[in-house]
Amino acid sequence: MGEMDLDLTGRLMADMDPQLLDFLRTKVNSFVKWDLVRFFHDNPHTADTVENIARYAGRSVSAIESGLVELAEDGVLNATQVGGMTIYSLASDHEVQQMLGEFVKASDERQFRVKAIYHIIRGMR
Amino acid sequence: MERVKTGIPGLDEMLKGGFLPETANLVEGAPGTGKSTLGMQFVYHGIVAYDEPGIILTFEEFPQQYYHDAASFGWDFRQLEREGKLRVVMTSPEVSKADLEQVGGRIEGLVQEIGARRILVDSLSHFERMTADPAKLRSTIFSFINALKREGLTAVLTRESAALLGESESADEEMAFLVDAYVLLRYVEMESAVRKALLVLKMRGSDHDKGIRQFEITSRGLEVRSPFEGREGIMSGSPRQMVDSFVQAFVRR
Repeated sequence: MGEMDLDLTGRLMADMDPQLLDFLRTKVNSFVKWDLVRFFHDNPHTADTVENIARYAGRSVSAIESGLVELAEDGVLNATQVGGMTIYSLASDHEVQQMLGEFVKASDERQFRVKAIYHIIRGMR
Repeated sequence: MERVKTGIPGLDEMLKGGFLPETANLVEGAPGTGKSTLGMQFVYHGIVAYDEPGIILTFEEFPQQYYHDAASFGWDFRQLEREGKLRVVMTSPEVSKADLEQVGGRIEGLVQEIGARRILVDSLSHFERMTADPAKLRSTIFSFINALKREGLTAVLTRESAALLGESESADEEMAFLVDAYVLLRYVEMESAVRKALLVLKMRGSDHDKGIRQFEITSRGLEVRSPFEGREGIMSGSPRQMVDSFVQAFVRR
């Protein structure tokens, strides 16, 4: 990565809310996870298997499974065993829900979205 | 006898006051007849009129769709969720069945958390994808319904009917045995217009109106109106004037 690229990243991230930036860096660091957190934010009482969540999200199981697992490991989602099935649902932690709400609200603004997209693309390299 | 009022003008009158408490009540009809609206109205009315919190268990429609549809009737489901009086839960039949079978499951937790008394299950038809074996399906639905009753819930369960218009489809006898009340919604073609008809086919443990009533979905929700008069064959979708039937049956041509 060149010096100019680092400068641009630094400038893009400089005015982001530090908590949102941390949430983006550590929790929502892929487009699939972004889709998933948005889905759980919009449908907060969803509780289902990876197969059914894939169907709801219009994605394949292979596309979302690792995202669900990582979001559960990071405490954004809950993963529970019910009748031999792993069921994913939004974490009941109030702070997580609040941060998720703020992230989704912020991502409705174009400027934030552009910065977040840039950050995720950088992370994918 | 204590009743659980639906809050739907005309329907409570047909049900002699409302559904019986802790019962499973099936509402069957073709797509667009108003099954989900009836169920949402039942849950909403319980919350705002009787302070009876409710749960909507959806197996297909996204919760956002319910928020949107409810808003068109002036019912603010998002606000009711914020107030802890409503939960719109998206899940699948297999997960909800397994969840209700275990002690301390998610649905049981939600019932306790908000003190839910009413539930809309939309729709029971999705259980049919769990098995092709009718005996197993019946057993699965029976167990599911019993779990809802165990939680002290009065349930409205919707079920899709394949018949749209003019196709005569009789009620499902197997299903009729499993539920406490069976309400049929039908499209009816009459004088170059499509109307909607409602019939309370069965109500276990209570008398009910056996008439076939017209109903409409207004800006306030479902409203059950007067009975269809002087017509027969309403539930087949193609009613005839009774005088025409009389002529067909008795007048030699």
